[in-house]
Amino acid sequence: MPRFLTPTKIGLLLLIDLYMQGAVPNSSSIPILSFLVRQLLPNFTNRRTRASPIESPIESLHFILDLGSFEALLLAHPALVPGRTLWDQFLKMLWSIDSLNALHGFFATRANLLANTAEENRMLVEMGIPRPPVGMLFLSRSSPFGSFARESRLEFYRLRFDDSLALWVSFVEWRQATKGYYLERNGSLGRWIGDRSLADGEADWGTDATEMLRITAYGIDGFGKIEGGRVSTGDIGKLLQFQVEQMQKFGDRVPLAMKDSFKGILENSLVVSSLTHYLKFLDAWRAGDYPTSFDNLHRYFDYTKRNRRRFFYQYALMNLAVLQADFGCLDEALATMIETISTARENQDMVCLNFALSWLYHFGKAHPNLVHGTETSNITDYEREGLMFLRTKAKETGTWTLWSSSLLSEAKLVLSNGESVSSAFENIQRSSQLVFGKGMKNMVGPQMAMTSSIWGRLGVSLLSRQYCQIFLSCHARDAVFDDLMRFSCRMAHLLTENGHYDDGIRGLEKLNKNSLRSWKANQHWQIYRGALRLKVELRRDNLENADRLLQQLLQFKGAGSDPDLTFEINILHVDYLTRRTDLGRALAKIDGMASALQEEGGDINPRLRLLTVKALLHSESGRPQKGFSLAVRAANMAWSARLLPALWAAMGAIANALNSLSEFQAASSILVAVIPRAYECEDCGMIAKLYSFLVDSHMGIAGQASSDSVQREKHLSKSLDYLNRAFEEYSAVEDIRGQSEIMAKEAILAIFLGDDLFANLYDFEDELFTNLC
Amino acid sequence: MVFNERDTDALRAALQEAVVKCSERCLYQSAKWAAELLTSIPPSEDKNKTEPEDSQMTEVPNEGLPPIVVSGNVDPEEAMLEAKEINQYLLAKSFFDCREYDRCAAVFLPDTLLSGILSTTASNNTQNASTPREKGKAKEAPGQRSGIVPPAMPKLSQKSLFLALYAKFMSGEKKKDEDSEMVMGPHDVGTTVNKQLIVISRFLENWFGERSSESGEIAGSQGWLEYLRGMVLAKDKSEDEAMRWLVRSINLYPMNWGCWLEMTSLISRLEDLNRVAQDLPQNIMSYIFHLHTSLELYQSTTSLSNSLDQLLEIFPTSPFLLTCLALLAYHMKDLEVADQHFSNLLALHPHRIDSLDHYSNILYVLNLQPKLSFLAHLCSTTDKFRPESCVVIGNYYSLLSAHEKAVQYFRRALTLDRSCLSAWTLMGHEYVELKNTHAAIESYRRAVDVNRRDYRAWYGLGQTYEVLEMHAYALWYYKRAAGLRPWDAKMWMAVGSCLQKMGRNLEGIKALKRALIAESYYDAGVGSSFGSGVRDRGGTMDPEILLQIAGMYEGLEDEAEAAAYMEMCVAQEEGSNDNLEGSMINIHADSQSSDDESRPVAGRSGVESGTGVTAATSKARMWLAKHAMRTEDYTRAMQLATELCQDGVEVEEAKALVREVRVRLEVGGLSP
Repeated sequence: MPRFLTPTKIGLLLLIDLYMQGAVPNSSSIPILSFLVRQLLPNFTNRRTRASPIESPIESLHFILDLGSFEALLLAHPALVPGRTLWDQFLKMLWSIDSLNALHGFFATRANLLANTAEENRMLVEMGIPRPPVGMLFLSRSSPFGSFARESRLEFYRLRFDDSLALWVSFVEWRQATKGYYLERNGSLGRWIGDRSLADGEADWGTDATEMLRITAYGIDGFGKIEGGRVSTGDIGKLLQFQVEQMQKFGDRVPLAMKDSFKGILENSLVVSSLTHYLKFLDAWRAGDYPTSFDNLHRYFDYTKRNRRRFFYQYALMNLAVLQADFGCLDEALATMIETISTARENQDMVCLNFALSWLYHFGKAHPNLVHGTETSNITDYEREGLMFLRTKAKETGTWTLWSSSLLSEAKLVLSNGESVSSAFENIQRSSQLVFGKGMKNMVGPQMAMTSSIWGRLGVSLLSRQYCQIFLSCHARDAVFDDLMRFSCRMAHLLTENGHYDDGIRGLEKLNKNSLRSWKANQHWQIYRGALRLKVELRRDNLENADRLLQQLLQFKGAGSDPDLTFEINILHVDYLTRRTDLGRALAKIDGMASALQEEGGDINPRLRLLTVKALLHSESGRPQKGFSLAVRAANMAWSARLLPALWAAMGAIANALNSLSEFQAASSILVAVIPRAYECEDCGMIAKLYSFLVDSHMGIAGQASSDSVQREKHLSKSLDYLNRAFEEYSAVEDIRGQSEIMAKEAILAIFLGDDLFANLYDFEDELFTNLC
Repeated sequence: MVFNERDTDALRAALQEAVVKCSERCLYQSAKWAAELLTSIPPSEDKNKTEPEDSQMTEVPNEGLPPIVVSGNVDPEEAMLEAKEINQYLLAKSFFDCREYDRCAAVFLPDTLLSGILSTTASNNTQNASTPREKGKAKEAPGQRSGIVPPAMPKLSQKSLFLALYAKFMSGEKKKDEDSEMVMGPHDVGTTVNKQLIVISRFLENWFGERSSESGEIAGSQGWLEYLRGMVLAKDKSEDEAMRWLVRSINLYPMNWGCWLEMTSLISRLEDLNRVAQDLPQNIMSYIFHLHTSLELYQSTTSLSNSLDQLLEIFPTSPFLLTCLALLAYHMKDLEVADQHFSNLLALHPHRIDSLDHYSNILYVLNLQPKLSFLAHLCSTTDKFRPESCVVIGNYYSLLSAHEKAVQYFRRALTLDRSCLSAWTLMGHEYVELKNTHAAIESYRRAVDVNRRDYRAWYGLGQTYEVLEMHAYALWYYKRAAGLRPWDAKMWMAVGSCLQKMGRNLEGIKALKRALIAESYYDAGVGSSFGSGVRDRGGTMDPEILLQIAGMYEGLEDEAEAAAYMEMCVAQEEGSNDNLEGSMINIHADSQSSDDESRPVAGRSGVESGTGVTAATSKARMWLAKHAMRTEDYTRAMQLATELCQDGVEVEEAKALVREVRVRLEVGGLSP
């Protein structure tokens, strides 16, 4: 396998030569130049275009260029000679390299394309050689073309004879496809076209002997040819680098379409770059094939150790730790990471050290029991100190990413502890300034996620959704796949809360299929979709289906799973149990979850939700007062943490409890105050519930009023009005149980209003519903 | 040499036998050579006509085919021994084929046995007391082994014995290669030796001692062991002795080409060849040997080409002989023809790499880059780890002026085969190009050590020393080169120039005159023997040499002779068809001859055209013009100066001269 030079490179050199000779008409120069530039500077266009699926990465990379690409480019352009295209001229030059010697000559004359240095000019003048005419084109030495020509020349000079021979043979083979066309255009050029030594020798040797010599020299056609001659190690190195970068940046795997050809190329290369092992490691990791990835990681570092020595040991450890954490070997991961930190400290590798510390911080957040052991007190202080440390470190070393991520982490910490929202905002703003000031595209995702989530917590769903949309439509192509996934999920969540189930699912389905081949992402994606469907099924009251889904979803727990998602599924489980009216188990489940949350000491939001859910469960079981203190506690906490959606839900629960205490007036005034704000949260289920509570309180007020009074009439009609609103909201989320509940209430109301027919109708429908369920 | 049908058949049979016997003894190269020769005999026509192919297949009598695996032996005793050892022999042969030499040798000659025999030899030697050192060694030996009866020589057939000893020899060669340092590296002094040689020679001495009768005849010997002994002796640098044994071997078994090759490498002068030739049997092998050796000695006479033609009649397609043909043309400096011959050979045997390095030299001199590149291509695809291939590639790079790479490839050739002569010399050339004179001298020196007949290496040494301005050394080496190729003008020119630089003009003139003769001798074609008929030769002479001779005469203050040579130099411009000037030179030449042989004469054939104006002739003309001025022959001076102006060389000086002549003429016109 050649190091750098391939037939394609010769083709590019010829194209440059063609351009330099002035053979390219002005109108064609831009396409040709851009073709060349795209080849020579791969970074020029390889910005990943995830948004437009038409241009596949393979196409834009043009990795192995055959003559067909040249033909497609050049055939369209007429040459200055009438009746000929540039393709003809190119072929003429291509076939004029007619022997190994000519190839040597070709490379030796590449220097003529270059502009002389000042010193050379002086020497030429001293020797009395005239300067070249002014109109002639020359390549400046450091221009892309010039450096390419120089590099090619140097590389050719460094080739051993058999390598240059291999280049020549693969070149002959490469251009073979155009032989027919060229012969056709140029008439009788004889059989040995392209090889002068054979053509010259034919007179002496005769045709048969010449053929035999040809076979001796070039081998029998189609046998024993190495495909690898077309690809150089340099190309492979670039390809590997590109792929690894892609995988690290976007968290993808090797695309399926590329996989086989990629494998073939790598197998053909004699010098297996150690990066290959790294690539395999990444791929196996993403594929969830952990044993293989361990194997390859160790292999990679064994092979690289030779060249880079101990200095890179910490990186090996770091990779290992991350991998182990993914594998679920948390203890080992922790130990490895701690060793990483000490090694990095020893080697004074600040970047590595910072990364490791920040990783350890997040790891600690995810698995607090592992890191801190028993000392649960002072966690907040400890964490805060850690973040402060990281931030100052990041500032010192100028690692902006770490800095901004530590700011965001601090904001998150503040929020999840239910502390001052304004200080969280302050942190977010500071991070935002960093992200956009330093142009850190990879940090945009976390930044936006944080902003979106803070608005969500403040109950402004619209803003929260808009941030998601902005990210998905503007920043998606530079984003890590995990971020993309996170936003898509959040978007889907927000949509389902409004009852737009199809849109939500569609948003998830739209995700890049290739990226979803990554095992972890795929897992998350599957579970999320499952949770969404579970929600839908529950609301539609398809309890059998829901049961089946739940059975599967409940399997996903433990170290690898996302805690938020697990919580969501658990809540849905509670919902399921409630709908099954298995209230005892539901309560037990809630208690279990609450104690687990208490232990972990995580975010405040799920705890508040649990409290509210528990309060409502009590009301479901007919003892709403029992939930009163819970609801009050929840409301209190939510208010102090400014967790508005939770607050409204808690207020609903309080109102419900008040209703049961016959404090209808108070309940109704609370609800009337709350409902407009709750609309901002765009959670239809919650609003429906609030309305339903409001109906209850109005009914209660109506009941307290004297019969046939205006007061009662007024409240009854109000109730009816609110019932309709609640029904609308329930219909929006297709919550059949809620709908039927409202229907039942409406039927009762109808009886009150003396509309028997109407009531019967409701009864009938109600029966129908219950039967259906 | 007329060959009839029966002779051809006999020859064929002999060659078949030779192939089998050589491969039995693992002499692969000899077997290959014989087989090549064998297949180049055209099939006899009668048989093909009378018998259709099928019947020939079925009817081929068993005795017509030599046994492929093992040949029989005519000597009953040997045959019996061979039959007895056949299993062991087959084992040993397979070991040899697998390149496990020591193991092969141990099949027949276990090391204990060998050491026993050797120590007895040593103790025998004590009685003879050949060298003091051996004496010391021997004193210890009997003391230790007083009670032990010396082991008897093992009773082995000669074939097995040869195989065993040859395996020992090869193992020594292999170790030697392994021990030697990187080519031209700091520790590569070329002193590693084959350590097994002494063992083998002791053993053989013993063996022959046992067998020989008082008259020196060796009973029942079949020639192979003699060959081995000769080879060992040759490696040991006792060349006369080696030659004696080799000749003996040849007389016993003439079909062993390896033996002939050894002899060729021992012969460094034509006289040696003639002397050896008397002892040789008169058969086709010695004929081929004579031809080959003469070619190695750079001979190129008509008789040689005649004998080659005769051989080609018998073996019309033999690649070996075709190579000889090409080499003959090469030595005759007929490069185009040589190229033609080699090109044909290539078409006939595209996979044959042997001697293609010579072809690459020819292409190099002819400056045929595409052809050379194709040749390198072929060689590299066939086998890139053959020394010949590396030399071809090195030559190609040298032609591309990539001298570092060329050196690299020559070095690789040497790593593959240290005795690759042409690679040493060529590497020397490359080092000269790279201005690394020390390395160049070392390379040349190595080349000369490998083969003392290589005039190019001697010449290169001379050149390098000349570059270093060490003329005395240079002269010595040039003389060696000239001694090897007395008919090559280039050598004599070098000698002459060197002498001139040392201020020994008289000798220098002699040398250059020889160069002139040699040159005209070549130009006229080869055919007459050296030294006769030179006077009649036509053709132009190199004006450079003439100018140089003239210059030296001037240095000797022999104006007249100098002027004569200058005239001759100028005369070369028009070629030799100018009778008037030719006769004029004749007169000059005859009057002052000091060297009876070296009277060059401008020819009178009138066929050849002259060299045209060259720098040398212009210089000569300028000198003549100035000379004419000195002798006050103004008209001639005027004429020469005007000619100079026309030629466009050194116009300014010529114009100044014209002006001066005009002034003189005017003054002269006035004064008388």
